[in-house]
Amino acid sequence: MRKLSKLLLVLSFALSISSSAFAVTAVSWGGAYTESQKLGYGDPTAKKLGIEINWVDYSGGLSEIKAQKEAGKITWDIIDVFAMDTINGCDEGLFVEFDFDKDFPPAPDGTPASKDFFAPMPSKCAVGNILYSWNYAYNTNNVKGTPKTIKDFFNTKKFPGKRAIYKGALTNLEIALAADGIKPGKGGAKIYKALETEKGVDRAMNKIKELCTDPNGGCVFWSAGAQPPELLVSGEVVMATGWNGRFFNAEVGEGAPIKQVWDGQGLDYEYFVLVKGGPNEADAKKALAMMTSTEMLAGSAKYIAYAPWRKSSLKIMEAGEPWYKDGKTNMVPQMPTAKSNTKNYFLVDPIFWADNGTELGEKWEAMKAGL
Amino acid sequence: MSSQTQKILTTDGTPLEVSLKKAERKNKIKAFLLVAPLLFFLLITYIFPIGDMLLRSVDDKMVTEMLPKTFKSMEKWDGKELPPEEVFESFYLDFSKLVDEKREGKLSTQLNYTKNGFKSIIKKLRRKSKNFEEGNYKDQIMAVHKRWADVEYWKAIKRRAPPITYQKYLKGIDMYQNESGNIVSVSEDRRIHRILWLRTLEVAFFVTLLCFLMAYPIAHLLATLPMKYSNLLMICVLLPFWTSLLVRTASWMILLQQQGIVNDFFVFTGLVADDARPEMMYNKTGTYVAMTQILLPFMVLPLYSVMKTISPSLMRAGKSLGGTPFIAFWKIYFPLTIPGIGAGCLLVFILAIGYYITPALVGGASGTLISNQIAFHMKSTLDWSFASAMGLMLLTGVLAIYWVYNKLVGIDNIKLG
Repeated sequence: MRKLSKLLLVLSFALSISSSAFAVTAVSWGGAYTESQKLGYGDPTAKKLGIEINWVDYSGGLSEIKAQKEAGKITWDIIDVFAMDTINGCDEGLFVEFDFDKDFPPAPDGTPASKDFFAPMPSKCAVGNILYSWNYAYNTNNVKGTPKTIKDFFNTKKFPGKRAIYKGALTNLEIALAADGIKPGKGGAKIYKALETEKGVDRAMNKIKELCTDPNGGCVFWSAGAQPPELLVSGEVVMATGWNGRFFNAEVGEGAPIKQVWDGQGLDYEYFVLVKGGPNEADAKKALAMMTSTEMLAGSAKYIAYAPWRKSSLKIMEAGEPWYKDGKTNMVPQMPTAKSNTKNYFLVDPIFWADNGTELGEKWEAMKAGL
Repeated sequence: MSSQTQKILTTDGTPLEVSLKKAERKNKIKAFLLVAPLLFFLLITYIFPIGDMLLRSVDDKMVTEMLPKTFKSMEKWDGKELPPEEVFESFYLDFSKLVDEKREGKLSTQLNYTKNGFKSIIKKLRRKSKNFEEGNYKDQIMAVHKRWADVEYWKAIKRRAPPITYQKYLKGIDMYQNESGNIVSVSEDRRIHRILWLRTLEVAFFVTLLCFLMAYPIAHLLATLPMKYSNLLMICVLLPFWTSLLVRTASWMILLQQQGIVNDFFVFTGLVADDARPEMMYNKTGTYVAMTQILLPFMVLPLYSVMKTISPSLMRAGKSLGGTPFIAFWKIYFPLTIPGIGAGCLLVFILAIGYYITPALVGGASGTLISNQIAFHMKSTLDWSFASAMGLMLLTGVLAIYWVYNKLVGIDNIKLG
């Protein structure tokens, strides 16, 4: 008996060593999102390459990987990060810089990877994974009429009731200007040009302040992605900005009485980065290239309403509709990048936010403190 | 000769004094070895990290080493108008070296901490500087982006010259040292940290007060009820400990929001009109309610442990000597519970001052506290030195409160149970 348990102990130890030595560790946000990544492209890639991919959860930010590096014991290979983190992490030398067209396969029709992706990468260390939207939704039971534009979100006369907005300045300043009459222009360039000036920032802040102090309006600030649909369904607010995947889940997955509005949406991105000096860098690089190929990226959209980065992936989805896992929902119209949803939109500018995030954050908090 | 004979010897011939000392030393070493693991543990997990934090918050060698020539040529610059060509040239030389070593990204991050807007112009400069011609660097650099022609940005670089700095501490109270050496406040629309410090103190103070007001009767009840009831009550007090903090916070949100259960009940019973539901969530009320409930056990337990030791006969004696119940309570019972009050208040206050998840979820516009700001700089901007500085300021604040408490009540009086 004792021998057996000893043997087991040795065996399990050996197994744990071997699995940690050969597996690739991919780090992401957990929940339904990681599930979609694992089922959509993680598992198929692992099977094809014969590499084990372990998915680990984290809560965002670069503090953990920076600490791992400073301690000299890096345990992560691939991380799913925000655009701003790819810039900051790349500047700090935490991530591997890519030679984009060489490291990533072209589209099936031969278009090089750099042309196939929706927008240029914000840094040399990033490869796109999904695009999601900061759009808004309303509760169909509590709103009379149909809000259609981003102006309607701020129109408390026509649509009275409280609004839920994100607790930080990110995207709020942009939609405020879009609603105040600035045409976003190509990818929102005009909005960011306006925000470069103090006048533009003040204009945006005032618009938000107006909405929040309006007796017919008022604001609830949300901090977790699950809050907006919850606030809408409970009737706490009549409209809420939020992430489209969460709204989709409530609307299609749970049949909640909410509807999304795509006008004035902000397209934001998730990226993968490859950790420099990670435990299994070579395999991780191979896995990353395969996971971000056309077919694989399309896979994740089967499970969640976020758009694959590659334009060519949409074609695969179109041909395979209904693409959603329930077998009856068409996914292309739910994609933030779909033609019908990108008539009036802006691309969240990570370089602008990397530049000005702290200062605008301070101004934003000061404005909130005066509400 | 005489001094020799006066010494008392042990059986094996060594002087008693020596052998006693030896035995004592042995004991001391044993005692030290016993506590050594703990000491070692404290050193690694507590003293070393705090020391590291202190160093981080003042250490600014990195930038000093990155731009040695620039800072040298800046010494002569008065910092009023744009620096002379000489400064631009040495900056260009330093910068090219950094680009070769692929370290210009780090410089951009560091300078962006001092003044926002450096990230993009350094990226632009890197791209353009490859095609620079020799000579007249001032015009070439200024042509890259209009911010390079803005004297404020050059002042910001100069501010990073000293290898040791206390700028991060000044920033923590919304101030900075300008080029002429005066300490001044930042512009009014960016003074956020002072607001946050005050708000944090206010929240912690009121939560402590509310906890005290609610915990005192509960603890009294716990200490005086017969065992079979008090055990049940004790479980009720401890039950929340078994539930996750987030779950408890989320349940308060469901209870207290405007369309929540409590408000529904009010409307149902006719206490308030349907269109005049009071706001109990997403403002300070929400923060106070949720945090008080979460921190209540930390006040109840020390109070209970002190009250348990107070003999009920003391109150009876007080009353039999002619005191009204209130006087008996105020003059006898209350002073005896002060050690418990002190422990509970200190515990709750210190825990409350570092809270940030709960206020962020239920506090609405006022839900940002100083800890949120620390977490933001730890995780998002990676400005660990600023986060360290604010962390140390918070720690100093807590120590100051501890010191005041010691002066007023005396730390020996504390009783945790």
